[in-house]
Amino acid sequence: MSFNVSTAPHIRTKESTSSIMRNVLIALLPCLIAGIIFFGFLSLFVVAVCVVSCVVFELLFELAMKRPVTIKDCSAAVTGMLLGLTMPVTAPWWMCVIGSAVAILLVKQAFGGIGDNFLNPALTARAVLLASWPGRMSGGAFVTPNLLGKYASLPAIDALSKATPLAGGQYSILDLFIGNIPGTIGEVCKIAILLGFAYLLITRVISWGVPVIIVITTGVFGWLFGLMKGGETLNPLYHMLSGGILFGAVFMATDYSTCPMTALGQIIFAFGIGLLTAVIRVFAGYPEGVTYAILFMNIVTPLLDKYIKPRIYGEPEKEKKGGEKVA
Amino acid sequence: MIKRSFKGGVHPLSRTHEGKQLTRNKAAVVFEPEYVCIPMNLHLGAPSEPCVKKGDIVKERQVIANPVGFLGLPIHASVSGEVTEVSEKQQLGPKKVMCITIKNDHLHTLEEPMEDIGTCETADPKKIVERIKAAGICGMGGAAFPLHVKLTIQDEKYADTIILNGAECETHLTSDFRTMLERSDDIVAGLRAIMRAMNCKHGIIAIEDNKPEAIEAMKKAAAGKEGITVRQLKTKYPQGSEKQLITVVTGREVPRGKLPIDCHVIVTNVATAAAVKSAVEDCRPLVRRVTTVTGKVKCPMNLLVPIGTNVHDLIEYCGGYDGEAAKLIAGGMMTGPAAPTDNFSITKAMGGIVVLDAKEAVAFEEGPCIRCARCVSVCPIGLNPAKMKQYCDANDMEGAKRNNVMDCIVCGCCSFTCPANRYLTASFKNMKDRITLASRLGGKK
Repeated sequence: MSFNVSTAPHIRTKESTSSIMRNVLIALLPCLIAGIIFFGFLSLFVVAVCVVSCVVFELLFELAMKRPVTIKDCSAAVTGMLLGLTMPVTAPWWMCVIGSAVAILLVKQAFGGIGDNFLNPALTARAVLLASWPGRMSGGAFVTPNLLGKYASLPAIDALSKATPLAGGQYSILDLFIGNIPGTIGEVCKIAILLGFAYLLITRVISWGVPVIIVITTGVFGWLFGLMKGGETLNPLYHMLSGGILFGAVFMATDYSTCPMTALGQIIFAFGIGLLTAVIRVFAGYPEGVTYAILFMNIVTPLLDKYIKPRIYGEPEKEKKGGEKVA
Repeated sequence: MIKRSFKGGVHPLSRTHEGKQLTRNKAAVVFEPEYVCIPMNLHLGAPSEPCVKKGDIVKERQVIANPVGFLGLPIHASVSGEVTEVSEKQQLGPKKVMCITIKNDHLHTLEEPMEDIGTCETADPKKIVERIKAAGICGMGGAAFPLHVKLTIQDEKYADTIILNGAECETHLTSDFRTMLERSDDIVAGLRAIMRAMNCKHGIIAIEDNKPEAIEAMKKAAAGKEGITVRQLKTKYPQGSEKQLITVVTGREVPRGKLPIDCHVIVTNVATAAAVKSAVEDCRPLVRRVTTVTGKVKCPMNLLVPIGTNVHDLIEYCGGYDGEAAKLIAGGMMTGPAAPTDNFSITKAMGGIVVLDAKEAVAFEEGPCIRCARCVSVCPIGLNPAKMKQYCDANDMEGAKRNNVMDCIVCGCCSFTCPANRYLTASFKNMKDRITLASRLGGKK
C-alpha cells in the first residue's frame, strides 16, 4: 500500500484567492444596486462593460503571453467592478474599455499579474481617464440622482455648472449618507458602502484598521486645514461622507497588492492617505483627492515594507529580563 | 508579565476540535505485536550501535544498542524474544536505517531492574540525570531530543522553571491528553524528579483549555506538591511550540539563536515526565509509549505500544482503514511528516498516526502570492513569510538569511493560512536545512 506524500501542514484554510475575490464582488453588490437605484440601469451597463472588458483583456494578454490563465480567480472581475463603480454614469462605453485596458494591461499584467502590481489597477485607470477626459470624468459628468434614472436629460458634458458636493456644501448630511447627491456610480450611497464594509469584515477579507484610519484622518484634517485656511470650513462629518473617500477607503486602499503587509506599515499608509486627501481637498483647489492620495501611498508602500519590520521573537534589544521569578 | 496567549497562530479544525473528538474519550489500550522492529535513530543525534546479533534471545528492557556520541542514547528491547534480524530498513526518513527486529515470545521475560536510586523525592540529583540517560529517555513530544542533554548544562547557566508541555496543540492527537488523565501522579512525580535534578523551585504544567479534564486531573495530582502549578492556556496552534509556550507561561523570550536554558527554562513533554518517574522510581527504561491511531481507521483509539511496533499492524488492530486511505501522517496534520507506506515503526516521539482519505488528502496547487499579508499576521515569530518565500524561490541563501529564515520554527501557520496555497513552510524548512548544511561544510574547509 502506498500513500500520497506531501509536506506538512496537511491541512489548509478553506479560503482561497478566488473565494476572497468573490467575497469582494459580493461586498460591491450593494454599491452596484444603489447605483442602479440612483442613476438607472445605465449604471449597470457601465459596470458591465468594465467587468467584461477587464476579464477579456486579462484572458487575451495571458493567452498571447502563454501564461497560465487566471481569470477564474475573479481578480480581473473585481478590478472591472471597482473601475465601473468609480465611473460617472454618463461615461461612454469606449472610455470604460480604455480604462479597463489601462488597468489590466498596463498596471496589472505588465508588472507580472496578480499580486505584483505596485499601483491599484482600477484606481490608476480612473486617474488616467480623469487626466485624459476631465470633462467626462468629473464636474458636469456627475448627474444628480433621480430615482431609477428618470432624470430629464443628460447634462452637457463640458458644463462645469454642476459641482460635486465637496465644492459647495449645499447637501445635507442625510443626503450625503443616503446617496442623494451627484457622484460616481458606486461612491454616492454610504449605506451600501458600509454594508459592503461589514460584509468584508465578517468574511475577514479585510480588517477595519485601514479604512477607519483613512476616513477619520480625512475628516479631522480636512476640517483643521479648513480652519487654518480661514473662511468657511466643512465639518469633519461632511468630509467623511462626501466624495469618494469612503468608497476609496473601504475598497481601494485595502487592495492587498498595494498596501503594506505589516500592521504599523498599514497604519502609516492609512494615515498618509487621509492626510493627503485632506491636503488635496482643501489646498489644491481640486475637490477629489482620494484617487491621488491612494495612488501616492501605493508608491510609498514598497518603502514601508522595506523599512518597517515586525519585531522578531527573541530579538536582543527588547529582550525581556531573564531570571524574574514566576508565581 | 503573564499572558494566556501569544502573537499570531491559527486555529486548524477549530470549531469542533473534531480531530481530537475521535479518540479523546478512549483510554489507552495495551497492544502486543507479534514482532517489533526498533530503528537505531529513535532519538535526535547519532544512531545507537546494536550490541545484539541475529539469533540472540533478549529479555524485555534489555539494552540492545549502545549510545554513540554526546547526543546518544541506549536502546532497550521493548519485548522479549528472539532477534530475527539486524539490518538496514526503510523507516520514515529519507535514508535506510539500522533496525533490530525481535520476534515477540509473549513471555515478558524481564531483564534485571536497574539499580535502586530511591524515589523521585529522595534520589541524588546526579543519579537522576544518569538514570534518565540510561533509561533512554528523549523528548516524547516530537523532536526526540535526549532529555539528559537538556539537563546537562554549563556551570554559569541555571534553570529556575521547568515547564511540562501538555498543550498538545496539534490536530487529532490525544495521547498526551490520555497520559495526563491516566498517569497524572506519575507526571507530577517525574516533574519533581527533574526539578530535583536541576535544583529548581518552579514546575509548571501547561495545558490548553480544550482539555478541562486533564487540567482537573493534573491540578488534583499537583495539590500539596511544593512548587508545582498547573497553567491553563488558550487553545491556539502552535501553543505547544517551545518558544511560544515559554513566553506565554513565563513572559520571557528565548533569545534569538539561543536555547530555552538561556532564559532559565527547560521544557519537556508530559509523557516524558511520566517516563522519568518510571525510570527513577520503578527502575524501568523507556520501552513503551501511548500513541493515537486516528482519522480514517475503522476504530480510532489510543494504544499503549512497545517502541518499534509496526504501524501496519497497529492499523490492522484498529480495524483497518475506513475506506480508501490516501495519506498517512506520523503526527498531527500541522507538522507530521506524510509516510509513503504504512511499513514503519512507532518511535519514542511518535504521538500518533493520522489517516486521511482522498477527500482530505488533496494536493494543493500553488498560486501566485496576492500579498494579503495573512502569513505575516499569523507568524508567531514575527517573520514576513511572503518575502522569505521570494528569496527561497530565487534560491538566494543570503537573502533568505537576511530575512531571518533561520528564525522560522516551521510551525506551518503561514502555509495553513495562505489563500494561494503557497508551500511556504516547506520552502523554509528546505532553505534552513540547506543553510545548516552549507555552514557545516563551510566549517570543515
